[in-house]
Amino acid sequence: MIEFVLDGRSKVTASVQLVQQVKQALRVGLLVPGDQLPKVRDVAQSLAINPNTVLKAYRELEIEGLVTGRPGVGTFVARTLAGPSLGNQAALREELVAWLQRAQAAGLTAEDVTALVEITMRAILGVEPPSTQITLSPPPPLAVRQAKRREG
Amino acid sequence: MSWLIWRQHRKQLLVTLVGLVALAAIMVPSGLAIHRAAAELGLPDCIRQANAAATNPHMICESALERFSEQHVSGAFFGVLLFVFAPLLIGLFWGAPLVAREVEQGTHRLVWTQGVSRQRWALAKIAFVGVVALVISAVYGLGLSWWMAPLNLTGSRFGYVSFDMQGVVPIGYTLFAVALGVFAGTFLHRVLPAMALTLGGFIAVRVAIAALARPRYMTAQARTYQGSLPNEGSAEGEPSVIPTPSPSSGQAREVGDWMLAREFRDANGMGNDNFPDDYAYTWEIFQPASRFWPFQVIETGVFVALALLLFALALRRLRRIA
Amino acid sequence: MDMALETEGLGKRYGQRWALRDCSLRLPAGRVAALVGPNGAGKTTLLHLAVGLLPPDAGEVRVFGASPYANTSILPDIGFVAQETPLYRDFTAAELVTMGGRLNRRWDAALARERLASLGIPPNKPVGKLSGGQRAQVALALCVAKRPRLLLLDEPVASLDPLARREFLQTLMVSVADTGTTVLFSSHIVADLERACDYLVVLHSARVALTGDVEDLVATHRQLVGPRHDGGPIRGVGQVVRARHTDRQTTLLVRMDGDLGDPLWTMHHVGLEDIVLAYMDDTSNDVTTAQSAWGVSA
Repeated sequence: MIEFVLDGRSKVTASVQLVQQVKQALRVGLLVPGDQLPKVRDVAQSLAINPNTVLKAYRELEIEGLVTGRPGVGTFVARTLAGPSLGNQAALREELVAWLQRAQAAGLTAEDVTALVEITMRAILGVEPPSTQITLSPPPPLAVRQAKRREG
Repeated sequence: MSWLIWRQHRKQLLVTLVGLVALAAIMVPSGLAIHRAAAELGLPDCIRQANAAATNPHMICESALERFSEQHVSGAFFGVLLFVFAPLLIGLFWGAPLVAREVEQGTHRLVWTQGVSRQRWALAKIAFVGVVALVISAVYGLGLSWWMAPLNLTGSRFGYVSFDMQGVVPIGYTLFAVALGVFAGTFLHRVLPAMALTLGGFIAVRVAIAALARPRYMTAQARTYQGSLPNEGSAEGEPSVIPTPSPSSGQAREVGDWMLAREFRDANGMGNDNFPDDYAYTWEIFQPASRFWPFQVIETGVFVALALLLFALALRRLRRIA
Repeated sequence: MDMALETEGLGKRYGQRWALRDCSLRLPAGRVAALVGPNGAGKTTLLHLAVGLLPPDAGEVRVFGASPYANTSILPDIGFVAQETPLYRDFTAAELVTMGGRLNRRWDAALARERLASLGIPPNKPVGKLSGGQRAQVALALCVAKRPRLLLLDEPVASLDPLARREFLQTLMVSVADTGTTVLFSSHIVADLERACDYLVVLHSARVALTGDVEDLVATHRQLVGPRHDGGPIRGVGQVVRARHTDRQTTLLVRMDGDLGDPLWTMHHVGLEDIVLAYMDDTSNDVTTAQSAWGVSA
């Protein structure tokens, strides 16, 4: 059974944080198909959050097909996340370590590295990185659109 | 509601009963002593004989009455004066806190938002407190009537203080004091101010009714006496033994009469309560002794009516408290 | 959708002063709503009107469609804890549970007992001797045992230490999870709101300043920073909630109604706490008056 935490200061809403934590647990193998997610009531109690928030997160995961809810019993993991598990990406990881060392030698700070990664991810992969992703879709912040224009 | 009422008031009830028992422990022996003393002096028999022979008891039993007065009367009044305050005390400690304490501590917001309407809550509480007041005041009213019976032989039971302490009027006063307390609580919302209002209001109304209304419940009667009365100089209200001749007009004086006014007049009918040089006759207005119980009932009725009015007003004011 | 609480032009007056005025809101069932506002804004008055302790002087209030004033048939559906958590201080917790059973038609004594036991609250100690946090839990347990459909709480955690506050919220959330009851609690501690509440009502000076879904509010409010701008419309901005100026720069907290059309402005997200504070903020007039009163230059 996993235990959720909440970052009160994150820009990301609570329900999205819960979804992310479930997905992360799936990715690293903490959760496997058949495992039960904590009961809504227990999460609401331990984190002192609105149970609707938890329900929303579980519903979102159900829509994505990652979990199934069994009424009266609980919510259970249905499948793993698509794609190879992180544990098997040794080669990629080594390259990443080397690249980080070169970035550090070039004088980049941690913020520079993160910014570089985010901009490149948006440009190349065409997706928003997890830290700024929000489930409702108001227009992206102006700063982002300006950056995109500069890139393009 | 009954569980709640019992749980909230059980200590108060206990204290009140203990107080009553303590007072009874003083009053019952002293009452018995007074009755015994009167019997030893032969007072009841003497007075019965005098009434049977249609003569004035005060002339016949004079020495016994004098001895009895000296021994018991003044001490008795001191001890019994406490009971004059009994209705007020009950009003202050049973009536004033009833609503005022709930509002002062905010618990009205707890008890009125359960499942019982505030009207039902108030009616149940008022009924309980009313019954308690009724029972206690009936007990001490009638108990005092018994206690004062020998004293009533020596002085008028119709006079102030004596009238107020015995018979059924204590019931009326107590219910009035409680109703005033409850109303004060709905008006002032705090216990001490409600008590102050109850105190002031009770005294004001009691004094006003006793002084202004009571003499007028029925039309007073008049009588005149020719010639002089022995013991003219005695102060009004002081129980003393006054042998009286028959009046030249009006009903003969009895011990239980209530003297309202007396004038010493000259032949033209002018006079005041000073003895003039050309004194011709004495003129009195009074309420006859036989009206004691009718007056008791009327005054009790007045105060019970006031009590009911105040309870109704309190219930109405209750609707606006949040 | 079922409306747990609906008010229309609701108003309450004390003498000449309106404690609440022109209040219209609709709280859907099942929400956990926060009622915020500065002291004296009308929060307690609104709650007292909703629980039927007071009759309205203007407009109307309905709880699940019924008017709550002098209405004992809707009373079992409303649980209420007044400010400062009034309880009969000489009663023990067990006696209070008994009292609830005698005064309420629908009463789950077992639930109250089980709740209080799991919180470690002794049954036979007069509640006046319990800590503030424990008293708040007792009051909440008494409410919950009624199995109400709407819980109204007036600043239940105002005088509690942070741990007691967190425990109270935990208990409250469990109740909501178990029964789906609607909750409206007033608080002037804004920090706890975002984790627990999904609906918000902001009162200011006896009027409603803002109501809505928390998610919707956070999604549509933004903070805009740009060069000094003294009024005049901005494309995409529906309402300016608060404006702050320096000689060269203007910061606006706004509610958007479309895409921002002006490239001069930088847009930032705003947290719920800052949104609420902006709607409650009205000190600018006070400041200028006070400055002249103190003889201090602006």
